[in-house]
Amino acid sequence: MAEDPKKWLERAITGKGWHERPRSGDGGGAQPPRPVKLDFSLRSVGLVLGGLLAILAAFSSFYTVQPEERAVIKRLGRVIGIADPGLHFKVPFGIDQVQFVATERVLKQEFGFRTGQDADDEGRTRYVEEDFSIESLMLTGDLNIIVAEWVVQYRIADPIKFLYAMREPTGTLRDIAESVMRRVVGNRIGSEVLTTGRVEISNTARDEIQAAMDRYDNGIQVITVELQDVVPPPRVQPAFNEVNEARQQRERMINEANKQANQSIPKTEGEANRLVSEAEGYATERVNRALGETARFNAVLTEYRLAPEVTRSRLYLEALREALPRAGSVVVVQDGQASPLPLLNLRDAQPPRRRNQDREGGE
Amino acid sequence: MSKLMLWVASALVAFLVLANSLYVIDQAEQGIVVQFGEPIGEVVDSPGLHWKLPFIQEVRRYDRRMLAWDGDVSQIPTLGREFVVVDTTARYRIADPLQFLRSVRDEAGARTRLDDIIDSVARDIVSGTNLEEIVRSADWQVNLAEVAEVAEQAGVAVEQLDLEKPKKGRGKLEQEMLAAASRLMPGLGIELIDVRIKRINYIDSVRTQVESRMIAERQSIAERFRSEGQGRSQEILGDMERELRRIRSEGERKAKEIQGRADAEATRIYGQAYGKDPEFYKFFKTLESFDAIGENSTLMLDADSDYFRYLDSSRRR
Repeated sequence: MAEDPKKWLERAITGKGWHERPRSGDGGGAQPPRPVKLDFSLRSVGLVLGGLLAILAAFSSFYTVQPEERAVIKRLGRVIGIADPGLHFKVPFGIDQVQFVATERVLKQEFGFRTGQDADDEGRTRYVEEDFSIESLMLTGDLNIIVAEWVVQYRIADPIKFLYAMREPTGTLRDIAESVMRRVVGNRIGSEVLTTGRVEISNTARDEIQAAMDRYDNGIQVITVELQDVVPPPRVQPAFNEVNEARQQRERMINEANKQANQSIPKTEGEANRLVSEAEGYATERVNRALGETARFNAVLTEYRLAPEVTRSRLYLEALREALPRAGSVVVVQDGQASPLPLLNLRDAQPPRRRNQDREGGE
Repeated sequence: MSKLMLWVASALVAFLVLANSLYVIDQAEQGIVVQFGEPIGEVVDSPGLHWKLPFIQEVRRYDRRMLAWDGDVSQIPTLGREFVVVDTTARYRIADPLQFLRSVRDEAGARTRLDDIIDSVARDIVSGTNLEEIVRSADWQVNLAEVAEVAEQAGVAVEQLDLEKPKKGRGKLEQEMLAAASRLMPGLGIELIDVRIKRINYIDSVRTQVESRMIAERQSIAERFRSEGQGRSQEILGDMERELRRIRSEGERKAKEIQGRADAEATRIYGQAYGKDPEFYKFFKTLESFDAIGENSTLMLDADSDYFRYLDSSRRR
């Protein structure tokens, strides 16, 4: 710095020599009582200040709107328009103000749980381990307690309305979503909420939240309401599981009984059929035997009638001849004698083995 | 030199005056010009640049957008004496900033007044209503099949489930709250847009009871399933046993019938054949039965029998 800053300040306060700056600027080097050094310095300060101001103005007079955004431009507090993505100019020094609103992005609000902003190393979403049960606990129409977690996806359809219809549009969305979800769930009985009602609940909730947003005219467009976990309260859950298990158990018992029935009935049917077939076999055999025997009898009878006496004796003797060798012992009984008279008892005298061999050899 | 100073000073003053008499009303705001605490003129509700008298007038700004009010959570007994926790929420707008300024001054003041008013209205309405009236809505329409299933599971008649349509329902009650609270709003310069029940839950002790009830209910359903399984299983096994016996006995009957018919047939055949000469048949059959004589049988023969006749003497008798 050419001049002592102290002196410069003093002059600036007293005004001494201060007014001469323009003149020295005009006249150039015509009047030399003041040192050229000071003259140059003052001008340079002015230049620097002016330049700084100009740069500041230049920098604050354009702005970039990102592809997913729209910018709302206010001039002296009044909204004058919306800017599309791209580079835009505005009046600097706070006369034009720009507010960016992410209109193209799908935003979401979570109820009953929070997804962490960052995923972990493996790319899985992290869930914040905190208790949001105050949001998720609700009553069903049959006055039971249920825990429902859900997500509302929405988009800012109208940035001006979003900014200027309500002060807390997002907070309002949350309030209304909770209110509506409780109304919809409260309008059904618990078992329906847990099972078949999910899709209908989501759709009804979506429509009602959208209707509320339309009534507030706050530029929010609800895209979907998605029910996540809908479960009984934690303490009751084991009992619900028990019911499911019991249901499985019932099915299993019925299946086992059916299995047993399916196993044994065909088997027994088979057995019964076998019995019938065997009986049929017996019948055939019996009839055939009867036919055979009678045929034999008839044949013998025919011959017998031709010579009854002879045939009779022959038959008798033949039969005895066949039977006697087989019989273990033969006893002859005579009238008037006390004890039976053994006729032959050769076999008892022989050892049993030999006797068998004899018999085999003899035949 | 002093002329220049004067110029600078007057420029400075002019700037200050200008800065103090020009003001900007934002799109989100409405303003009231106040002079020594007294509101002057109309509400300024068009956004943009406006004039006022410098220094002696100041601008009070109020939000012109819709504002949210979230009440405290309060414990209220219902008509049925269950204690519930009710959380209400409401939306309002500063409709008359002049009145608003006079009665509550600012939003903090408004909020405390709204707390008092809406809380007491909610208290009145909830304590005069049964819980199911608050939980269910006017379009309550239970799925009959579903109800029947629930009743069947719980083992009670459908009528006992107490699932009737509410007389008023949640929506109507919210409207009543809005109407009751709105009556007091003109004095505050506030327009109440809606009042809603955000949350309604049992207090903790009641909640524990309800959960215990739910557990007991579930367990009895589980028990039913189990005994149903046993019952069905026994039924099936019984059916099976009956079927088995039927099949078996039918088979046996058929077999016996067949055997009987065959026996009858054989008897007829034998009868026919042997009837021709019963005496010879007896003789023939007796001889045949000699075939049955085994190794260990003892044959007893009369000494007078034909067999020995010729052993005794070959004389012709």
